[in-house]
Amino acid sequence: MTVPIDQHTELKQDVTFRIFRFNPQVDSKPYFDDYTIPVERGITVLRSLNYIKEHIDASISFRAFCQAGICGSCGMRINGLSQLACTTQVWEVLAKSREPALIKVEPLRNLPLIKDLIVDMDPLVDKMKHYSNWVDSTMPESSMGKKEFLISEEEFLRYDKATDCILCASCVSECTILRANKEYVSPAVLLKSYRMNVDSRDALHALRLAELVKDHGVWDCTHCYRCQESCVKSIPIMDAIHGIREEAITLRGLKDTSGSKHAEAFMSDIEKKGKLVEATLPIRTNGVLWTLQNLLPMAVKMIMKHRTPPPPPLVKSSKGIKVFRELFREMTEHVKQDHKSHKK
Amino acid sequence: MRFERMKPFDIVIVGGGGAGLYAAMEAMKTNPSLNIAVLSKVYPNRSHTSAAQGGANAALGNKAKDDTVEMHIFDTIKGSDYLADQDAVDVLCSEAPKIIRELENMGTPWSRMDDNTIAQRPFGGAGRPRCCYCADKTGHTILQTLYEQCLKKGVIFFNEYFALNLSVKGSRSRGLVAINMKTGRLEAFPARTVILATGGYAKMYWNRSSNAAGNTGDGQALAYRAGIPMKDMEFVQFHPTGLRKSGLLVTEGARGEGGYLINKNGERFMARYAKEKMELGPRDLVSRSLETEILEGRGFDSPAGKYLHLDLTHLGADLIKSRLPQIREMCMQFEGVDPIEEPIPVRPTAHYSMGGIDTDNLTRTVMSGVYAAGECACVSVHGANRLGGNSLLDILVFGRIAGHTAAEEAGRFEPGNISEAELKLNTDEIRGSMHSSGHYERYGELREELGQTLALNVGIFREASLLKKGMQDIAELRERFKRVRVFDTSDVFNTNLLQVLELRNMLDLAETVAAGAFAREESRGSHTRVDFPVRDDAKWHKHTLATMVKGDVSLGEKPVTMGRYELQERTY
Repeated sequence: MTVPIDQHTELKQDVTFRIFRFNPQVDSKPYFDDYTIPVERGITVLRSLNYIKEHIDASISFRAFCQAGICGSCGMRINGLSQLACTTQVWEVLAKSREPALIKVEPLRNLPLIKDLIVDMDPLVDKMKHYSNWVDSTMPESSMGKKEFLISEEEFLRYDKATDCILCASCVSECTILRANKEYVSPAVLLKSYRMNVDSRDALHALRLAELVKDHGVWDCTHCYRCQESCVKSIPIMDAIHGIREEAITLRGLKDTSGSKHAEAFMSDIEKKGKLVEATLPIRTNGVLWTLQNLLPMAVKMIMKHRTPPPPPLVKSSKGIKVFRELFREMTEHVKQDHKSHKK
Repeated sequence: MRFERMKPFDIVIVGGGGAGLYAAMEAMKTNPSLNIAVLSKVYPNRSHTSAAQGGANAALGNKAKDDTVEMHIFDTIKGSDYLADQDAVDVLCSEAPKIIRELENMGTPWSRMDDNTIAQRPFGGAGRPRCCYCADKTGHTILQTLYEQCLKKGVIFFNEYFALNLSVKGSRSRGLVAINMKTGRLEAFPARTVILATGGYAKMYWNRSSNAAGNTGDGQALAYRAGIPMKDMEFVQFHPTGLRKSGLLVTEGARGEGGYLINKNGERFMARYAKEKMELGPRDLVSRSLETEILEGRGFDSPAGKYLHLDLTHLGADLIKSRLPQIREMCMQFEGVDPIEEPIPVRPTAHYSMGGIDTDNLTRTVMSGVYAAGECACVSVHGANRLGGNSLLDILVFGRIAGHTAAEEAGRFEPGNISEAELKLNTDEIRGSMHSSGHYERYGELREELGQTLALNVGIFREASLLKKGMQDIAELRERFKRVRVFDTSDVFNTNLLQVLELRNMLDLAETVAAGAFAREESRGSHTRVDFPVRDDAKWHKHTLATMVKGDVSLGEKPVTMGRYELQERTY
């Protein structure tokens, strides 16, 4: 082996870091400060921030601890995307940057701001507590330590990826539901809940699930996949969310909550017509009374603006619906088979 | 700067890593009526326990049916170069199977064998494959489990609090004073008992260290300043395989899975140093072997320094992806190297502190009401050199014992009490550094110089004249620190102030490391004196004790507790 890697390290480039600043004691609102430093290839955003703090402005505040991508402290938004500063290479960010030689650094979203790049993690911890994000062992405390549970590799693999989560809150920051509703359970807590629910040592499945299907829970997710795309550990978070939903339907039935009813309505529309029958969706999801109470004013507005969706009889099936139904049935059959083999 | 007084606690635990969390859980189990708090500099799930990749040793006999606790004990004592206290090692190894099973019962996701029992793999210096693991994220998953269980039990956490000083009256502690980082306020924590569980001090080597930025020996420094002796501080473990640029660790598991160490001549050079065990020799020996290869000109050259190769390419993509996924990711992120395709550039890096707060087997220190556990403490189970897989075990076993002992003994001590005047003293101390005028010193420069002098003069190979230079440098740095300036004068989350306080801790402890290394005129375990190349049992089969007297280090000693195993030459 020769040393090709290091021949590049001599290359340097001036990079401007536009850093979000806010000190609650003196600032009425946040602002940005620019710092320009020379950065060589191979340097991470965290090392750049450390350099700026040490040599230019000691008052810049951010969290950092392990510097190795395992503690999850240095989550922040780098050019708009939530990620870990310690594993993010400056040059790689620049390659995708819209403005040349500029990197914008901001705190995570959807958590209360404390100072500069530091946000309050307590709301996340509170949610972990609310949704019992722990294994409540089927073994009584007094008999612990004597013998192992026998766990198959297959079961281990079911929660292996989920236990990679370092609670960096990048997914929390990217979540579109949380932006609208701070009480929403959040992707990280759904992932952890799923991890507990597929663990055979846990005795709390049913109770945890009962909490998850309530308002602000698992049915509020809109499948935007932002959490999964931004996960710094590449965890398939959406699989976990789907996993919880599937378990909810299996154990609690389709008529359980508005969430599951909504899913059922979706399924049956797609199966019948290949598209949604929007006019009756709220009724089928939340019932007539709720719809009248909550959506009547909006319905009136929609009528005034001629924006009402067509009534059910007027919703025509999509083109090629017969072939589609065939495919739909086949897929449903596959999913059922998969479930059966999983259960074994 | 304002301050606040908390209601008195029965137990205040400083540190939210493996040892602190286990202590909290066990204390609550032992006596649920106690009032217990955990103070942590970071959110507990951020603690450095998460960085331990390899695993934890326990003679479960899942992989090697003939493994026994007795063999684990012998390996540990031999690994320690006979400096470990044998009664303490007995406790560590006999408790091991129970504690691993207990974690398993609470939900730790261990990797599994074909027969569905907890998986085990070979580790350096161990006679049998007894290292239990979860892929290469063992510490992370243990920490998650403990944190989850603490949340379940309703442990009271004070997150992002930095412990400043113990409050001492006579020979006992009355609690401690800490800064609430979120507000910048000083808060008094009166307590009957205090458990220190703040981790190690190897970050004082800074760039030549694999440790988290915060592994600055806070608990040790706090105890040291309160007059509690530090034991065997000269023993700092250098991990053989740190990444060349960042110092980050490539777990011993990579060699456990079959990785080779290769020099620039393409030789598996470990054949020269440990014929039988090769790459799986104990850490001190492997680190010295790498350093020797580099010193004798058989290392690769690069602007980032000389290095050697850890070659995993022959293991194949499947094994690397399934058993060492994090290592692969790390090599790509921090070194730009994919271990499936090419060898990993490595060199030794300061990694673990064997030394720490002197405790007995029940984690008690000489100060009544003060306990210490984990890397922060020195029981001693690691002696002159820790075996891989024994550090996670140490924090679990002794964290648990600390929690249990403190819970049992808390009732014996009076409720803690911290006076207004004492809080004021702490406040003034901090305010002084924040508003110093005239000539001042910069934090970054002092820290950089400390790391440099330690790596150069108190590193893997040591010698009297180098150590003297190191001691001089540290003394000067401690003097210059008195004029250090905190540039950030804000109250809320003043990380600049935190850095300066951490530097003070590292400086105080660095003096004990260098002094111990200078005094110990022999080579044992991780401590290698070029001018005294052999182990000298007649003069030095004993622990060193470093105590602060009038602000400076004063050295004493303590005998090693022997047991079934007589002193032997240590070969692999």
